[in-house]
Amino acid sequence: MPPAVRLDGITKRFPGVVANDDVDLTVEAGTVHALLGENGAGKTTLMNVLYGLYEPTEGTVSLDGEAREFDSPRDAIDAGVGMIHQHFMLVDPMTVAENITLGNEPRKWGGLAVDRERAREEVTDLSGRYGFDVDPDARIEDVSVGVQQRVEILKALYRGADVLILDEPTAVLTPQEVEELFTVLEELTAQGKTIIFITHKLGEALEAADEVTVLRNGKNVGSLPTAETDREELATLMVGREVLMQFDKSPASPGETVLSVRDVGVEDERGVDVVRDVSFDVREGEVFGIAGVDGNGQSELVEAVTGLREQTEGSVSFEGQQIDDWSRRRRIREGMAYIPEDRQERGLVMEFDLVENAILGSQHREPFAEGGRIDWKRSRQHAEDVIERYDVRPPNADAEAHSFSGGNQQKFIVGREFERDPSLVVATHPTRGVDIGSTEFIHERLLDLRDDGRGVLLVSSKLDEVQGLSDRLGVMYEGELMDVVDPETVTEEELGLLMAGEYPDSYERAALAADASADDATNTNVAGERS
Amino acid sequence: MSSDSFGDLSWRRVVGGAAVLGLAVLAVAGVVAPESDAGRLLDILTAQTTLAATLRLSVPIAFAALGGIFAEKSGVINIGLEGLLIIAAFTGVYLTDVTGSVWMGVLGGVVASTVLAALFAVVCIEFRADQVIAGLAVWLIALGLAPFASQVVYGGPNTTSVETVGTLTIPLLSRIPFFGALFDATPFVYLMFVAVALSWYTINRTTFGRWVRASGENPKALDTAGVDVQRVRYAAVLLSGVLAGVGGAALSLSLGQFTGNGATMVNGKGFIAIVAYLFGNYNPVGALLSTMLFAGLDALQLTLQARDVFAVPKPLVRTIPYVTVIVVLALFGRTRTPEAAGDHYESGDD
Repeated sequence: MPPAVRLDGITKRFPGVVANDDVDLTVEAGTVHALLGENGAGKTTLMNVLYGLYEPTEGTVSLDGEAREFDSPRDAIDAGVGMIHQHFMLVDPMTVAENITLGNEPRKWGGLAVDRERAREEVTDLSGRYGFDVDPDARIEDVSVGVQQRVEILKALYRGADVLILDEPTAVLTPQEVEELFTVLEELTAQGKTIIFITHKLGEALEAADEVTVLRNGKNVGSLPTAETDREELATLMVGREVLMQFDKSPASPGETVLSVRDVGVEDERGVDVVRDVSFDVREGEVFGIAGVDGNGQSELVEAVTGLREQTEGSVSFEGQQIDDWSRRRRIREGMAYIPEDRQERGLVMEFDLVENAILGSQHREPFAEGGRIDWKRSRQHAEDVIERYDVRPPNADAEAHSFSGGNQQKFIVGREFERDPSLVVATHPTRGVDIGSTEFIHERLLDLRDDGRGVLLVSSKLDEVQGLSDRLGVMYEGELMDVVDPETVTEEELGLLMAGEYPDSYERAALAADASADDATNTNVAGERS
Repeated sequence: MSSDSFGDLSWRRVVGGAAVLGLAVLAVAGVVAPESDAGRLLDILTAQTTLAATLRLSVPIAFAALGGIFAEKSGVINIGLEGLLIIAAFTGVYLTDVTGSVWMGVLGGVVASTVLAALFAVVCIEFRADQVIAGLAVWLIALGLAPFASQVVYGGPNTTSVETVGTLTIPLLSRIPFFGALFDATPFVYLMFVAVALSWYTINRTTFGRWVRASGENPKALDTAGVDVQRVRYAAVLLSGVLAGVGGAALSLSLGQFTGNGATMVNGKGFIAIVAYLFGNYNPVGALLSTMLFAGLDALQLTLQARDVFAVPKPLVRTIPYVTVIVVLALFGRTRTPEAAGDHYESGDD
């Protein structure tokens, strides 16, 4: 039997970016295949090619051994490919049955009216066949996200899908709903459907899939049956290292503790604990790195530190003062700079020009504002200084932020934040999606700042970056800080295991943990009583 | 939230109860003392002529409101209804004058209104214009164009008088006290009830109606389901032009003349229509009921002034629909605007 889906040498280029680079993928009928990789690894692009949203630059798609060319999702749907997007395509005030049949309504009276009875019956039959528990008359806005997802799956099945693509299906679900989803996937494959699901969580890939393909930087770096692999191998494949980055780095000369995180716990929007009991210190003149596979609580931890999210437990101190009730504004004023992970969402206002963007965060106070009036002359001067010093190209302060490339946007943010004269810089994925030249530039600036006696908290899922820049390196897994290690001496194998949530045999956790000063008796081992 | 249940249940009961109580007091007082203000008010309220006037005043508003519902449900806010009414009112009279047939006049009004709606649709859907600004432009174009055309043709803002549509009286039924007004009316009144029923059915039971709703709530969902969102929106906006056209022609051809002074004879009815469908929560039946409430208040106000019962200043009475809708929206917040209303949509946009 030919494979249900076969992608041959798929390359997809966008202007300036290669999103998929000669990717082969084979998915056997009736199996669950996980597409694993970090954000930006090219998973969604690859699936959009299969779903007809993108035309591949090179390569072929075949279904059941037959070569296919899709001009639009409509063609893909007709060929039996259905995709469940991360953001559901549902009409909230309509019922489940109305949504499932939308665009393909059973009709009566010469095609004019919707045959609502038949629509309901068909939906009830369909959901019964796969053991789904959905009420066809419930309104979408009244049902849980898990049910909404099942409605999306039913919608694809109603249109005759044999291959179902799920884009990060677990991202919006509670842990129980995730289990239910996996049961649903089993039922679907038992009835001959083929499933491809995109994820960056290796645990889920191992649990739910028969086979897993790891993408990194747009390339397929390995397709493995889940029975023959483990977390460690997958984690290493995911984050791997391309080129060994060399950093010209002088030894750190750490000073006073600038940031102190103690027993911090954070919940996400769903009320799930995503950060648990994390403690560490960042000192002046050092880079404290946090490594780990994306989505293990790093983002939420950083948001708690920077004041964008309230922690549910523990406390954070900054330069010796407890700052738990400090507003975001106050944290900025007191010298905490922040390079956010999503520069377009949080770092810049895309429709503003660089003059306006240059003073974001300082727009209300001197020297840029006085008595509610912004001093545009000074703002412009500042923007031009940042542009010059941080090599933002093209050097045009009047251009809107969205007209710059990702690398130049990022250099501008880095410049704006560094020019605040901060005592602490929190940098999350500072070089994600940034070209090589800008990456090196940003790395150098971070080290300059460190050598100048500032503290740096660096979160990155790029192993070479975080290992090369950090003076001490924490590893997070499922919301916990596994350990804090010396990036110079730790082995790749040890890091791989820690990122996968396991301690190497005969491994002794370093005492570096939260303990900035060896004589501080109150700072005990961070990772707690993990056994 | 406690304020939610408060707003939903308690307030509605309090306000509803107060209204019923007020009417009961009025009725008792009216019956007991027929010569008092209350008595005279009751007399007016129960007069067949009041209902007849209400129905007559409702027609243009109701048709415009139905049109507005289709457009906005599909995601295009059509605040140019006023302009569509004006252009149809003038064209209706003009074509009746030229052809000598009232029904040719009605047809002409519908065509004129639909053409203007089509222009609005192209500007909004094809060229991504802001719907509110384009809608205001529709109003202003009609407000300038209709009196100007009248000036050119008839030498003044008011046209000559033409034949009217007349009334259609159903024997016997029209003799029923009060409700007889329902059976002694212009054909437009009957058409209004038919249009409301058909609109309800179209929106709630047909594929087209379902697509219109999806297009206004989540166009991307409709698009991925393989339905062309822009086509659905064009159809909905054109339909709003047809419906408003009937309303405009009905307005002028019931009187046999178009008067174009100031705000013209339409005089804000297109805007009241918007209020009416919002008040009716985009439901054609609800829109009809609120239209009749507003038209009824207007009819009442006219009679009150003629009969000199309470001296209520006319401008104050005219604000009642607007005040009512603000109060109702603030207290209940029941109107649920389509999620994507006002947003441009094009396949492939993110």
